[in-house]
Amino acid sequence: METSKRQFLKGCGALIAGISVYTVTKSPLAENANTDASQTEVKYAMVHDENACIGCNACVEACRETNHVPDGVTRVKIERTGPFGNYPNQSYRFNRVSCQHCEAAPCVRVCPTGAAYIDKDTGIVAVNSDRCVGCQYCIAACPYQVRFINPETRTADKCDFCQQTQLSKGLQPACVLACPTQALTFGNLKDPDSALVKLLKTKPTYRAKVDLGTRPKLFHIQTIDGEVML
Amino acid sequence: MSAFHFEGLVWHWPIAIYLFLAGLSAGAVFFAIMLKHFKLASEAYHSPFVQAAAIIAPLAVFGGLGILVIDLTKPLDFWKILVFYNTTSVMSMGVLVLMAYQVALFAWIGCIFHQGLTRLLDGRFGAIGRLSTRFIQMLVRQEAAITGILVILSISLGAYTGFLLSALIGFPLLNNPVLPLLFLISGLSSGAAATLLGGVLLRGNPNGIEVRFIHGIEIPMILVEIGLLFTFFAGLILSGGQSQVAALNALGYGFWGWIFWGGVIGIGLTLPLAFNLWMKVSADRKFTYVAVTASFSLIGVFLLRNFILYTGQMTGV
Repeated sequence: METSKRQFLKGCGALIAGISVYTVTKSPLAENANTDASQTEVKYAMVHDENACIGCNACVEACRETNHVPDGVTRVKIERTGPFGNYPNQSYRFNRVSCQHCEAAPCVRVCPTGAAYIDKDTGIVAVNSDRCVGCQYCIAACPYQVRFINPETRTADKCDFCQQTQLSKGLQPACVLACPTQALTFGNLKDPDSALVKLLKTKPTYRAKVDLGTRPKLFHIQTIDGEVML
Repeated sequence: MSAFHFEGLVWHWPIAIYLFLAGLSAGAVFFAIMLKHFKLASEAYHSPFVQAAAIIAPLAVFGGLGILVIDLTKPLDFWKILVFYNTTSVMSMGVLVLMAYQVALFAWIGCIFHQGLTRLLDGRFGAIGRLSTRFIQMLVRQEAAITGILVILSISLGAYTGFLLSALIGFPLLNNPVLPLLFLISGLSSGAAATLLGGVLLRGNPNGIEVRFIHGIEIPMILVEIGLLFTFFAGLILSGGQSQVAALNALGYGFWGWIFWGGVIGIGLTLPLAFNLWMKVSADRKFTYVAVTASFSLIGVFLLRNFILYTGQMTGV
């Protein structure tokens, strides 16, 4: 009895150690999706030129209409800071807040049911509404705070680059088409001739919170005017 | 900024209650097993303290899970969490641990109270009764293995309540390696307190060996908890940046500052520690003494869960 008990406990310990090592080597899921996706032809990304943006919110309205986003929630926000300087030389800064379509997406990593996933063909971070149970773990895990519960479907929702509504018809995302100043550039990172890649190679850009290791695909061209801030 | 409603708040108090109850269940089982192993042996089944733990542990874990399910935006779809798994998700792995824990918990309870159960089933319920009796006898033969697995699972469950929050990379106060340990230790001490409180309420002897045994473990555990809390916040402050902002925000003035210093440190740790140290010298333990100390511990751990959940979500990176 004594030996079998010890053997059993040893076995349990080994099993648990094995399982934990296995999960560690497997994580993060997004990394795996990425290695697969690196062979695909398409990886969508977006650039927001904060110099061109005038904060008119046409993108927000176009998104709401196209994707039937209910009032009170939104997939995209233009955050305004300022004004900087004295009248009449005043300026604002505009910052697009929406899903960053991270290569290593924290929302995908924490989702217990796999409802949050990275589309392997396009690199788009999307939500499978049928699997979502509304635990809101993804909303808490997203460091960019762009996820929300859609009050109509009661599931997690966010920008998916208009995957279903526009891209499937061969159109650019609604916000890109609506922008009156062409501040938004959408395209394929894998295509060297795309307007997106050309823009990224001519202008310096930044991405938000890269130190978290999320590898976001929403690029920003920083505002030049305005105040020096520490 | 209001204490319970602010921008960026995702998880509300039901999650804090769930974390509290899961830790409490794990702690109660852990101490019941320790009591049986080190003190009571085959006498365990008629100790009111083991009985209390055997009642509290399943009720707490069911209650916690119930709250968790109701808190989903689609409660009726909760079964999807049980069907679909994601190995990188702490919640998904935690659900696996919870399921295994509940199975092991009932197997263990079956082992401990097998005499009573067998007597209850004897000659009743026909074939089902005979089958159940055979099943219980089988469990009793495997008691050592069941106990070992249950100890591992209860510790995993206690730590999971912390890992669930520490996986949130956007909040420096939560994304902290000390948090799972802090929640494990405080969860165990809440389980000990619940066992003591339940035990004396079930007419257990407040001066019995069970109380002395648990109190003997409680002092080192409170000291470890204070050390972990100190490491937790010192680490955040020394990290600088938003981590420091988050720590000072939580500990400073305002509602949550009061909860921390008055509730967690004062009622939850200092007073039980003082009572315990004072009781060491003077001998006889009374009902009120055990009940009050245990209640203070429980209040402290409950407030700690709420404090960490809310202040953690106040400051993002």
